Amino acid sequence: MNLKPSPTHSSRAGGCTLTGALSVTTQVRDAVTVIHGPKGCAHHNFSLFHATSLDNGRVAVPDLVSSSLTESDIVFGGEEALFRTLQAVSERDISAIFVLSTCVVDTIGDDVDAVCNRGYPVPVLHIPTAGFLGGTFQDGVNKALMALSRQARPSVAGSTVNLVGEKNLEYEVDENYAEVTRLLSHLGLTAGLRFVHDIGFDDIETLGSARLNILRDRSLLPVGEYLKDRFGTPYIPAFPAGLSGTLDFIGTVATACGIDGSRALEIERALQAEVLADFADIGESEGFFSGLVTDPESAGAAYETATALHIQITSDAEAPHLPVQPVVGTGGVRRLLHRWRRSLHA
Amino acid sequence: MAMKQIALYGKGGIGKSTTSANLSAALSERNLDILQIGCDPKRDSTRMLMHGRFIPTVMDLVRERGDTGVTLADVEFRGYNGVRCVEAGGPEPGVGCAGRGIIATFQLLEKFGALNGDVIVYDVLGDVVCGGFAMPMREGYAQEIYLVTSGELMSLYAANNICKAIKRLASRSTGKCRLAGVICNAKGQPKEEELVGEFALRVNSSLIEYIPRDRVVQLAELNRKTVIEYDPASPQAARYRSLAKRVMENTRLTIPTPLEIDELETLAYSFI
Repeated sequence: MNLKPSPTHSSRAGGCTLTGALSVTTQVRDAVTVIHGPKGCAHHNFSLFHATSLDNGRVAVPDLVSSSLTESDIVFGGEEALFRTLQAVSERDISAIFVLSTCVVDTIGDDVDAVCNRGYPVPVLHIPTAGFLGGTFQDGVNKALMALSRQARPSVAGSTVNLVGEKNLEYEVDENYAEVTRLLSHLGLTAGLRFVHDIGFDDIETLGSARLNILRDRSLLPVGEYLKDRFGTPYIPAFPAGLSGTLDFIGTVATACGIDGSRALEIERALQAEVLADFADIGESEGFFSGLVTDPESAGAAYETATALHIQITSDAEAPHLPVQPVVGTGGVRRLLHRWRRSLHA
Repeated sequence: MAMKQIALYGKGGIGKSTTSANLSAALSERNLDILQIGCDPKRDSTRMLMHGRFIPTVMDLVRERGDTGVTLADVEFRGYNGVRCVEAGGPEPGVGCAGRGIIATFQLLEKFGALNGDVIVYDVLGDVVCGGFAMPMREGYAQEIYLVTSGELMSLYAANNICKAIKRLASRSTGKCRLAGVICNAKGQPKEEELVGEFALRVNSSLIEYIPRDRVVQLAELNRKTVIEYDPASPQAARYRSLAKRVMENTRLTIPTPLEIDELETLAYSFI
């Protein structure tokens, strides 16, 4: 019996484990994700990913296949339906299949591992993702990253820096990536594998060859620890958040890589001064924080930015609303300030 | 007369199917239209009524043809003396979800309009292990639940657990199922009738019939018949007819009062 309580603290109620895992597996270009369950579990996720990629300016259709269980599969067991689905999918020109299980198949006890091990022309990886067992969206992300990381080959540390666990469903995923690579380039570092964002299945083999892993945020610590144990790769626990967080990030990365970060810090300080000067027009104003105020990292970055511009934060909800949102790097602060300006000038 | 729907519940192996089949056979002799529905993936509830034949089950046919490809004629078979026989069926042991199979079967039988006649006898799997096996107790199905038990403690324990399920379902606003009585299918232990009779009183019900252990039951089974058909003049056949009469006359339907385990043990101990 799984006694893990369902999360109650999150505004999004923890989310669905399956969706979390899909946000990772659908980013492997040449792989197919099979969702073992009723069609609906695939449909609503398909819609979510399709809509999100459209919002991000891409027309990407996630390669999802459902084993399409019906009532009689639930009564008699869904293993044959999964086997038939895997046989059909594995004949396509693809590099791998990920099998994600749904609530109902874990309820009736399908032996998904056994079906995945029946022998197919391509590797078949099972990622258990039944949500009713108390897992969250984030658990799904972590499980998928761990499952995929088992495909990595033993290797020695190279020169590049991997980004681990990018939030593929956040609107600014590409901007955040660009911001981190910009900061790395000032340190003379190159981004390597995006684990996992728009990569090929074989790319995962090189996962262990980074000199440093940068996790998207602290909820990925188990993944960072696993990669550290297995390949000895040190990691930075999160993308840079806010003004001082960005400067700290440069220092931490420089230390971890044993390089001199002073020039990069200088460049960044100058850029931050320039950004703040650009928004002098909204200095000394007054606003009300709305949005992700319960996220300490986002709220901290927002307060720091407001303080730097002498913006008064009031508890009066009638004041202009200043959105609080995840802020990656100095570029993230600039986008945040653009939103604040629109709100204050509205 | 209004259609009567009864369900027999009890520990696995206690003799529910034998009792059900003989009850249906005895009821049919009273010129009643009887439908017996086996609600157990083992599918052997109606076998003696069908002279040893394992009839195709609802779930098997649904699996082969899909539910649109199945008609009432495919799943309902006439057995001894015109008793209509249906087996729900279900998955192979160890896979799938048998409880969902029972629910699906009931929905299909509803769709067919098959749930008619003078008496429907539901013969249900030993333990009410999940919601699916409580289906026959739900609104619109069996209102009268009979417990089949011997005087053995484990059998009484199972019967007591089923009382809990009846009590729970009866407490719902739509719950119409009630405990109708206890049938003692004896193992032949001393003071067994008295013990089961006392148990019945304690759970707020009554002993409806005492069926002694008799070799003729095994002989009938080996000849693939109910006792009613195999040896109609036997005392055992008379017992089943008596059971049928009491079931038809029974109007005492109660909400049971299940016992705590130590009460049950003390009760069994006092009849050693």
